[in-house]
Amino acid sequence: MGLKQADKKRKSVAADPQSDDELGNGLFDGVLSASEDEDDYVPSGEEDGVGESDSEVTEGSEDEDEEEDDAEDDDAFLSDDIPSDIDGEEEMGKLVKEATELEITEPGVDPKRKETGDVEQNYRVEKDANGGERYVYEEVDPVYDSDDSDAKGPVNTIGEIPLTFYDSYPHIGYDINGKKIMRPATGDALQSLLDSIEVPKGWTGLTDVNTGNPLNLTQEELELVRRVQMGLIPNELEDPYPDTVEYFTSVEEKMPLSSAPEPKRRFLPSKNEAKQIMKLVRAIREGRILPYKPHEEREREEEEKEEVHFDLWQNEEYQEPNPMHIPAPKLPPPGYDLSYNPPQEYLPTQEEREEWENADPEDREKEYLPQQYNALRKVPAWGSLVKERFERCMDLYLAPRVRKNRLNIDPNSLLPKLPSPSELKPFPTVVQTIFRGHEGRVRSVSVDPTGVALATGGDDGTVRVWELLTGRQVWSVKLSSDEPVNTVRWRPTKDSFILAAATGEDVFMMVPTHASVTPALDQASRDVLATGFGYATHKQQQAPDGKEPPAKWARPGTKLEDEGVLIRITVRSTIKVINWHRRGDHFATVSPTGQRSSVAIHTLSKHLTQIPFRKLSGLAQTAAFHPLRPLFFVATQRTIRCYDLQKLELIKVVQPGAKWISSFDIHPGGDNLIVGSYDKRLLWHDMDLSNRPYKTMRFHGEAIRQVRYHRGGLPLFADASDDGSLQIFHGKVPNDQLENPTIVPVKMLKGHKVVNKLGVLDIDWHPREPWCVSAGADGTARLWM
Amino acid sequence: MVKRNRKGESGQAKNYITRTQAVKKLQLSLPDFRKLCIWKGIYPREPRNRRKVSKSATASTTFYYTKDIQYLLHEPLLQKFRDQKVLEKKISRALGRGDVSDASRLERNAARPDKTGKPRYTLNHVIRERYPTFIDAIRDLDDCLSMLFLFANLPSTTAVPAKMIARCERLCLEFQHYLITTNSLRKSFLSIKGIYYQANIQGEDVLWLVPYKFNQRVVGDVDFRIMGTFVEFYMTLLGFVNYRLYTSIGLKYPPKFDQLKDDQGAELAAFSLEGANLATIDQAEAVTNGETEHGPDPKVQAQVDQLMLQLREESGGDTTAEETPAEDAEGEDKPSDAIDKFEPVAPGGDVLPQPSYSSNDPAQLFAPFTFFLSRETPRQSLEFILRAFGCKRIGWDSVLGEGSFTTDESDPSITHQIVDRPLVQAAMDEEAGDGEDNQTAQKLGPNHRYPGRVYVQPQWVWDSVNDEELKSPELYAPGAGLPPHLSPFVKTAQGQYDPTIPLEEQQTEAEAIDAQLEDADGQPHDEESEVENDMDIASGDEEEEEEEEDGDFGGFPGEENEASDDEDESATLERQRELEAEMAGKSVQSKKPADAKTKAKLEEKKALEKKKKQEAEDLERAKGMLSKKKRKLFEQMQYTNNKKSAEDMKLRAKRRKMEKEAAAKKNKA
Repeated sequence: MGLKQADKKRKSVAADPQSDDELGNGLFDGVLSASEDEDDYVPSGEEDGVGESDSEVTEGSEDEDEEEDDAEDDDAFLSDDIPSDIDGEEEMGKLVKEATELEITEPGVDPKRKETGDVEQNYRVEKDANGGERYVYEEVDPVYDSDDSDAKGPVNTIGEIPLTFYDSYPHIGYDINGKKIMRPATGDALQSLLDSIEVPKGWTGLTDVNTGNPLNLTQEELELVRRVQMGLIPNELEDPYPDTVEYFTSVEEKMPLSSAPEPKRRFLPSKNEAKQIMKLVRAIREGRILPYKPHEEREREEEEKEEVHFDLWQNEEYQEPNPMHIPAPKLPPPGYDLSYNPPQEYLPTQEEREEWENADPEDREKEYLPQQYNALRKVPAWGSLVKERFERCMDLYLAPRVRKNRLNIDPNSLLPKLPSPSELKPFPTVVQTIFRGHEGRVRSVSVDPTGVALATGGDDGTVRVWELLTGRQVWSVKLSSDEPVNTVRWRPTKDSFILAAATGEDVFMMVPTHASVTPALDQASRDVLATGFGYATHKQQQAPDGKEPPAKWARPGTKLEDEGVLIRITVRSTIKVINWHRRGDHFATVSPTGQRSSVAIHTLSKHLTQIPFRKLSGLAQTAAFHPLRPLFFVATQRTIRCYDLQKLELIKVVQPGAKWISSFDIHPGGDNLIVGSYDKRLLWHDMDLSNRPYKTMRFHGEAIRQVRYHRGGLPLFADASDDGSLQIFHGKVPNDQLENPTIVPVKMLKGHKVVNKLGVLDIDWHPREPWCVSAGADGTARLWM
Repeated sequence: MVKRNRKGESGQAKNYITRTQAVKKLQLSLPDFRKLCIWKGIYPREPRNRRKVSKSATASTTFYYTKDIQYLLHEPLLQKFRDQKVLEKKISRALGRGDVSDASRLERNAARPDKTGKPRYTLNHVIRERYPTFIDAIRDLDDCLSMLFLFANLPSTTAVPAKMIARCERLCLEFQHYLITTNSLRKSFLSIKGIYYQANIQGEDVLWLVPYKFNQRVVGDVDFRIMGTFVEFYMTLLGFVNYRLYTSIGLKYPPKFDQLKDDQGAELAAFSLEGANLATIDQAEAVTNGETEHGPDPKVQAQVDQLMLQLREESGGDTTAEETPAEDAEGEDKPSDAIDKFEPVAPGGDVLPQPSYSSNDPAQLFAPFTFFLSRETPRQSLEFILRAFGCKRIGWDSVLGEGSFTTDESDPSITHQIVDRPLVQAAMDEEAGDGEDNQTAQKLGPNHRYPGRVYVQPQWVWDSVNDEELKSPELYAPGAGLPPHLSPFVKTAQGQYDPTIPLEEQQTEAEAIDAQLEDADGQPHDEESEVENDMDIASGDEEEEEEEEDGDFGGFPGEENEASDDEDESATLERQRELEAEMAGKSVQSKKPADAKTKAKLEEKKALEKKKKQEAEDLERAKGMLSKKKRKLFEQMQYTNNKKSAEDMKLRAKRRKMEKEAAAKKNKA
């Protein structure tokens, strides 16, 4: 209450200068006269008090008065002490001033009173020109501390020294002027006891360092402390939330600031804004901006959204599948053995089961074993189903797809349609006659053009002539004691009965004796051989140019001549092959080892020998005349060359592809050729078709020694091999040029024994019948029919 | 200036591209490339000559067609993959910066079909590209269905999200509903791997495998990411196929799906089909009292009657001259979808094949019946197959799930009950006595049967379906030994072993002779006296022969006979010689007429062997005429053929043995 009162007073003081009329109501008189009278003030408080009852105010003032009295006592007490020490009015005034200063820190002293005290000297009231009151203030003497608000009352200047040092002195220190500050008088013992018993309000128990008085808190300070403790605003009167003062709007200007007219844009919508808005609108329409939704809600919505289905194939149109596209093959449908209850025979036996279980999973033919359950409820889940599906997936995207043409046909339809062997008859099937007599191998056989006699030549150096059908030896001559008879060949005309045989470097011409040979025929034959002698001598004399003649034609000597051997032709190297021209006037000999003179063509009628090739690429193996035309064939190891004898030029080179040609024969028709080779191949050439073989046949396990066509109109040919067998083929050459020849193997004739890896060395066909004769290394010749 | 041909600039070297090159060209990661290849159906190719394609190619290098990869370059999905890659990069960068909130925001934007089962892209255009026509899609449905049915039965794991499984299941059930509505299921087969179904959709046969309802074991290294990629594609494919199929028969797609029912395990019954512009088709039309519905549907009956009439008409010819024109007129009034039969009027024209009128329509096979499935039977598959073949009323025990016609086993309308449990031996005796009496009893004994009801095992359904006729239920009675369940998909080729045909009709001549000979001398010795005592009873030639043989050849040990079975020729010859010698000796001793028969048999065999030899020789000759390439091919073919025929022979031998054993058992009994 007291505090409130004081505040009010302070306020009233603040209001005082404004209320001129109040000041002017003669109150000052009293103030001036009686400085310490509270009653003077009361009317002002009454006048000031807004709606407050008089009694209240008076009460309050009375209360305060009491308090003030106490304080006044203190002050008086203090002032009483000090004046005793301080002399001079100035000092006194100063002291008073200090006291007023102290009032701030030391409440309880009414500031009002002090103020009024000051005011009385500060101004004087004069009458102005209008007769109104006018305050005339004194000039302020600007002394050192005239406006020093910080200057405090007697300030103790002892510094940091504790006050106890002065305990034994009557003073407690010195003020700024070096005057002693006397210790305030302490009450007597009784007073202090009373004080200690009755703790006054605001007692702190501390002593003011500067004055030595007990430091007590005033009511206001206590209130301040309380408010701070309560967390309130320390100053009760301060409004934390004052109303705003609208500085600008509250003031309405009468006139505009600018006189410029309003621009048009103020009345038009902003283009830029429209642009920005359209941007947003577009984004919303396109769904780029979605109304905000919590994340969870959005997720839920998305999940609930069904997949949109529509007719994807609404306007379907057939597309030709890409030829490179290979659709994935479908899995095969399940078979009987996959049933849960398969027929008994599909269940694996114990061995099969064990085999399956022991096999590596990759090696198993099926990835499952057939199993039987006698009820559906017993069927368990298939363990590897997921894995199988996965493997299928892998196959679908990772396996390279290759289109393989699976021939879903009967394999037998691949086989060529062969006429049955019975339709191909006749052909030789069995051995009819075995010709024994030669010691060592039989190297060569030949059937005479009439088909009654057989000539053979062997390692024992003899040439023997046999009765073909009976196997009886009718004639024999030993040509050489150390060299084998390499080849024997009849002259292919029926008007003579001449046999040519080669041993070593010699070719002998002989006329054997035989039952079928009439004396006339014999004579004719001898004549044929003899006609050339004049020529020969003539020729030999003609060419004495130092060079050795290619061959020497001579009589073999009386001993042989008696036996029927009439001519001996000696060439430079060993002759392996003799082949007659169809007319019987020429024959060709081949001696593979004779370098340049390996092939020689002899003319019987002129006893003339010519060497047609000065140079030959490769070793000559065999040579033959074309059966119809003036062509000459020479086989080297790899190729067969065909020369025109009239134009003397190379016509054709046939390349069978064999490594080493052993023999060849020309079809009587003249357009086809068979070639036998040491690398087990038998090759059929159609010379009109190509230089390469038309058919290659490999039925022999060993080298092929000799091949031969039947010359009497039967579509047969045969080959002889070192494996001891002959193979008879049906080889029909059609008359139509467009058709291909049909070749059918018909028979394998086995009978010859293999001696020293040599089997059958030579074959020859009967001129008319489907019979053939073979010469074997086992010393026999055989007639097959 | 002549254009120079450099190596590696044309031909195979340009046509093929390795996988690494392809990945680089497309600027993709390998998994993305894999995905793209799976969806677009791009597969590696095998170049004719690897060396020409690439010098450094090893055996494991994968080659693609360059054109295929070029085609992939224009794929819109490629951009999606790249976007995704960018997003992943952003996420990882955000995580690297420690900006978790940003990362999670980006992560939310990322499509993770492996987690949510829903991608941000669609594969519609890919499907349209791969299958330009609907029939193409149907043709390729085999793998799709097998895969989806498998996934519908998989347990959900991190690799296989539950959503994906649910979707697979739904699509499969929708597809099954189509098959049920159109009755286009044709065949089904219970195998050890699962159940195979074959349906005919718009003239295309579709075959797929459904696993048995068990938890699938995942063995080995199965990469579910690859499978998931396939499933993603297949789900989209089947969705569109289903749509097309549903709309083609005037149904709305997707059908109404009842989540509640599905949660209770209703499966097929959780869907209700709706017409495109009609109300819901009443699926459960017969879910009232069975008594009234017991008879066949009147509409169906009318159709059947009509059909029967037609058939009779056709078969009967012109027995009733007056009736036929009237009926014809009637027929003209009603335009029908059925194909008209074309009969050649005049002889000489070619006969064109027409689809035959089958008397047993698949829609009618089970139509008149009401089934009840016991607890132990596979409900899902049975329900599907029965419904697909016309059955409308299927009841089952409530433990098998929701959606049954009745859960009451004692419902009087039930005509067939499918049981798969063994007979309990103890109850057998009682059963005969009180089966009739206890009709009213609620709880029934283990072997109790309701009268007037057919009890069959599940195989009866499958066999009936495959043979398109109701099989005799006696063979399939509960506890009975079932007849073998045969695959309906096998098409027996000429000369292949067929278990349905008696052995005598399919064995080769040589085998028959061998078997007879074996029969002759293979009889156990001790039976001899017995058989001789029963001489008068025996009437068949075979038996007679057996007896005689027993007398003469009893001394031969059984092992030797076994040896003769083998194709060891020398052994056979030796044995023959022995037999001949024996015969020669015997003919002096006894003059039984049976000797002649055996001899004849032996001679026959000899002739056969000779013929065989002759044939082999001929073959050898003919083979000689083939070129090397063709000969190789021929030999290869012969090898496979021989292998097959050896297998068949083995099967025949096994069966012969079993039949003999069975016969011996019968004789003894």
